[in-house]
Amino acid sequence: MLLLTIPSALNIWGVEGTRNVERNGVDLFGAIMSNLQPYLKDISPDRIQRNPDNPRLFFRPEEMDTLMASIRKYGIQVPIVVFEEKDDYILIDGERRWRCALKLNIRRIPALIQQKPSPLQNLLLMFNIHALREQWDYLTIANKLPDVVELFKQENDREPNETELGEITGLTRGQIRRCRFLLDLPRKYKELLHEELSLPKHTQKLSEDFFIEMERALKTVQARVPGAVQDPNTARDALIQKFRGGVIGNITDFRKLSKIATSIKNIGVKEAKARSAIADILNPRTKTSITEVYAEQFEMRYDERKVSITIDSIYEFLEEAAAGDPGVIVGDDLKAKLLKLKQLIDKVLRS
Amino acid sequence: MAFDTFDPRMQTVANKVLAYCRQRYGANGLKTEQEIAPEISWRPTIHLRPTRSSIIAVEVADNLFPEALRGAAHEISHYDSPISVYQASSLSAYQSDPKQIRVKLLRKYGFGVIAVDDDGAVTMQHTCISLAQHISSEELDDILRSLNPDLKVRFKDAHTTYLANAGQGLQQAGQIVEAMVMCIGKQAANRNVITEAKAKGTVADVIDALYPTSTFRDHRAALGGAREFTKEFRNIASHPQKSAKQAADKIKKCKTGFLDAINVASKLRQAVQQLGYKVQIHIT
Repeated sequence: MLLLTIPSALNIWGVEGTRNVERNGVDLFGAIMSNLQPYLKDISPDRIQRNPDNPRLFFRPEEMDTLMASIRKYGIQVPIVVFEEKDDYILIDGERRWRCALKLNIRRIPALIQQKPSPLQNLLLMFNIHALREQWDYLTIANKLPDVVELFKQENDREPNETELGEITGLTRGQIRRCRFLLDLPRKYKELLHEELSLPKHTQKLSEDFFIEMERALKTVQARVPGAVQDPNTARDALIQKFRGGVIGNITDFRKLSKIATSIKNIGVKEAKARSAIADILNPRTKTSITEVYAEQFEMRYDERKVSITIDSIYEFLEEAAAGDPGVIVGDDLKAKLLKLKQLIDKVLRS
Repeated sequence: MAFDTFDPRMQTVANKVLAYCRQRYGANGLKTEQEIAPEISWRPTIHLRPTRSSIIAVEVADNLFPEALRGAAHEISHYDSPISVYQASSLSAYQSDPKQIRVKLLRKYGFGVIAVDDDGAVTMQHTCISLAQHISSEELDDILRSLNPDLKVRFKDAHTTYLANAGQGLQQAGQIVEAMVMCIGKQAANRNVITEAKAKGTVADVIDALYPTSTFRDHRAALGGAREFTKEFRNIASHPQKSAKQAADKIKKCKTGFLDAINVASKLRQAVQQLGYKVQIHIT
C-alpha cells in the first residue's frame, strides 16, 4: 500500500487548483505566497535540518511505522519541501518522510527546493500543507495560531478576523474554534494534554477531544448558570478525576452537561434544580456521573419536548390535509400509520 | 544535539540508555543516530563496539518491535561483524504491551529489551546475543520435534551453552552426534556388523566401518551426513578468528553447524529405530 500523497505544496504553487480561499475575488493566501519558485533535486537527508517553526509536536510511532514500511518498500515517491540556508536545507514539508529516511539509512531523497520564505510564509506553508492533507493535532495548531496572528499583524497592521485566519491557514472556522478551546486552557492543563499526547496511543487516557468537549460544556454552564462553576480549575480537576476513574464513561457525556445547563431556558427546568445537579456532577467527592443525573432528572423532560415538537409538526400537516390542501396527499401507508397512532393515543389517554 | 528528534520524555530514555551503555560496554566506537554500515538500512539510536569483532546497537522507541528493527533484521544478521540489538523503551511502554506479545516477538527474532522507569533507572529486561548467532526457542523446539526426550534435553542444554558461547555450544552439540555414532558402532559390533576393534576407533573410523556394510545400506545418507558434520564442526569450533569478518563468519557457521547437528542426530535416530538399536549415549 502506497501511503504517500501528492505534495500539497504543489497545490499551493498553483499546479493544482484545489484551494478554495478566494474572497471578494482576492486570493489572500496566493498573494502572500506569490514569490516562491521551487526546483527538484536529490539531496542527502543528513544535510537537512528540522524547521524550528514546524508546529507539529507529535510524531505517532504507529503512524511512523506504517510510513517507514511503505518507504522501505516503495522509496520516497513524493519529494519533501525544503529551502536552502547556507550549506544546509531547512524543512518546510516532509518531516516524517525525512525522519524515516534517516532511520532507514537512505542516502539521497527527492526534494523540492525553494527560496527562503518569510516567517509568515514559512508558517502558512506548513499550515496549508497540513490543512490539505493530514491534519495536525489541534494542540499543535492551537500553539501556533497566535504566531500566525502576530505575524499577520506585523505585515498588515491589524489582526486577521476569523474568516481571514481560516483563509490563510486553510482551517475551517470550526477547527479554529476547537483550537481556541485548547488555546484558552490554563498552562497546567495544556501541559497535561501535551504529556498525554506524547504517550503511545494505547496508553493515552485524555485526548484533545476530551478537553474540547469539557471546555465547551464548562463554558455553557458558566454562561447559562452563573456562579455554578466557582473555580473552573477545581471543576476541571473533578471532571478529569471522574473521567479517569470511569465515572464519566464517554467524552460525549459532556454534551449532556451542556443540556443540563441549557435546560432552564429550553425546557423550563427550575434553576435551583439545574444548579444542584451541576454541583453534584462537579463535586469530586461524589461518584455522581453526568449520564446518571441527566437520565434521572432531565432526559424525560427533553424527551417530552422532542415528542411535543413532533406532535406540532404532525398537527400542522394534518390541519393542511383536513383543509384540503392539494399539495398534501395522505397515502395508504400514512393512513395506516395514523390509524395505528390514533389507537395508541386513545389507549394512553384512557389509562 | 543528540536525540533532538525525540520528545523530551524519550530524550530522557535515550540519554539514560546512553549512560547505561557507556557504563556497561565502554565508549569504544560509540555513535548516536549514525549508520553502522551503508548496507544496513537502519540507523540505530546508539551503537558501539565493545570488542574488535562485536557491535552492540540500541533502538530507542516506545512502540515495541518497530518497523526499523523488523525490516533490518535480515541485513543485521548477515553483516560482517556480529551485531547484538536491543530495543530500549520506557518501563510503562514495556509493561503495557498486552500479553507481552511484542516483547515475545522481539525475543523470538533475537532482540534484547531494555526498560527505563520514570526515575531514570535502567533495567536490562532481556539480554540477547548477536542476530547472526540467534536461534529462537521456537525454531529450536520445531527442529527438535523428531528427537526422543533424552536427546531433546541434551540439545537444549547445548543450546543454553550456545547462547553464551556459540563455539562451545556447537562443540557440545557435536559431542551428542559423536556419542550417537559411537553408540551405534558399539551395538553394530555386538551384532557382528563390524569388529570390536573398529567400533572402538575414532568417530570417523566407526562411520567408515559402518558405511559399506549391508546392514547400513539404507542408512548411508545418515552416516554420510554425520561424517561430513564431524569433519566440518571440528574446524569451525577450534579455529581462532583474526578479524571481525572471521568472527562473524564463525558465528554464522556455528549457527548452521548447530542446526546441522540436530538434523544429523535426527537422521541417526531414524536409522537406530529402523535397525532396532537403542540410543544410549554417554558424554564425558
